[in-house]
Amino acid sequence: MSIYGEYEGTLQRIMEDIEGRLFAYQERVKSETNENAYEYILARIKTDESMREKCRRKGLPETAESALSKLTDAIGIRVICSFVDDVFNIVEYIRSFDDCEIIEEKDYIRHAKPNGYRSYHMILGVHTSESDVMGNTPGTFYVELQIRTIAMDTWAALEHRMKYKKDIPNQELLVGELKRVADELASCDLSMQTIRELINS
Amino acid sequence: MNILLAEDEKDLSRALVAVLEHKGYKVTAVYDGEAAVEAAKSGAFDCMVLDIMMPKMDGVTALKVMRDSGDTTPVIFLTAKAEMDDKVTGLDAGADDYLTKPFVMAELLARIRSLTRRSGEYKPKQLSFGSVTLDVSGQELISENSVRLAGMEANLMEFLMMNPNKSFTTEEIYSHVWKDATEGLDVVWIYISYLRNKLKSIVADVEINGDKDGSFILQSIR
Repeated sequence: MSIYGEYEGTLQRIMEDIEGRLFAYQERVKSETNENAYEYILARIKTDESMREKCRRKGLPETAESALSKLTDAIGIRVICSFVDDVFNIVEYIRSFDDCEIIEEKDYIRHAKPNGYRSYHMILGVHTSESDVMGNTPGTFYVELQIRTIAMDTWAALEHRMKYKKDIPNQELLVGELKRVADELASCDLSMQTIRELINS
Repeated sequence: MNILLAEDEKDLSRALVAVLEHKGYKVTAVYDGEAAVEAAKSGAFDCMVLDIMMPKMDGVTALKVMRDSGDTTPVIFLTAKAEMDDKVTGLDAGADDYLTKPFVMAELLARIRSLTRRSGEYKPKQLSFGSVTLDVSGQELISENSVRLAGMEANLMEFLMMNPNKSFTTEEIYSHVWKDATEGLDVVWIYISYLRNKLKSIVADVEINGDKDGSFILQSIR
């Protein structure tokens, strides 16, 4: 039995709903500007195994309440864009959803993490007519979003590998090099953004 | 500091080595042009003092070989000949300076100091203006966030940060930063645009004001 219990179906519907809104946004932007609003979306419901492991790690009981009320990343959506401005445009579009509340947002683009990580993070509380795990009707389900550029995504994937591999030679040196590369990629992202502005002006 | 001394007169060489080492320099002494070329290849010298008249290969030929292989180490020629032709030949072969024998030790030391000064002291390591710091060697632009600059962006930012609150025309910027490049004046607007976006991205409290083809000035955000 999945940790999500009877809510599996709801989670799937909520995820598809948000994805659908982003698809529609993409269509609109494409027809208005001939450019993409984003390159691709990765959406997933955290696996039963992963969620249970996270509950254990956080010292929470492995229940639907932990998964859907205490933790917020049962539904995860990652939006990958070509240009930095596209990231911020999507953030504003998401902000306009009137049936969602922004529980938390962190701009790691304006203030990169010390290791160089850049992305825009949002935690949405999606209000729905269905009941949630706390018994509320209408209920609230969480969606965690990460919005980033292709360069930021490539970097994050590499950094993730490094975090989880043991016995890396020259670890400290490589961590410093990763930060340097993150700043160089950020510079490239900004240069491409600038060239796009110059082309369009 | 490492000095390569190529002088075939052993007595003079010994004397020069003694004085230079006393002044704190590390000296590698060789006695002919071929050995000088070999030593230059394998060592990293801050300055080379070469005699012109040497066996196997003379100083001028040795220097030409070194310069052709890409060695840009500063060089002083020492020579017994005081004729103008040799001075011109030596300098044109790639030497930075020339001393005729007999010379005063103090003068050789001062000229060595003068030649090695350029490579160290004049370049500032870090420039600051407002909330922004530019680490010149790493080409890193830092404020609340940080970003790396590449190529001419770094040169342009360095120029503006060494001259804050001063207005420059597009032509002036081009001639100071691009010197004798072939891109044409339009490149200035593109690079100013890059820097504007990067300054914003690091949340700087300074900005570059000015319009395309006009004058630009780096100043605090009002």
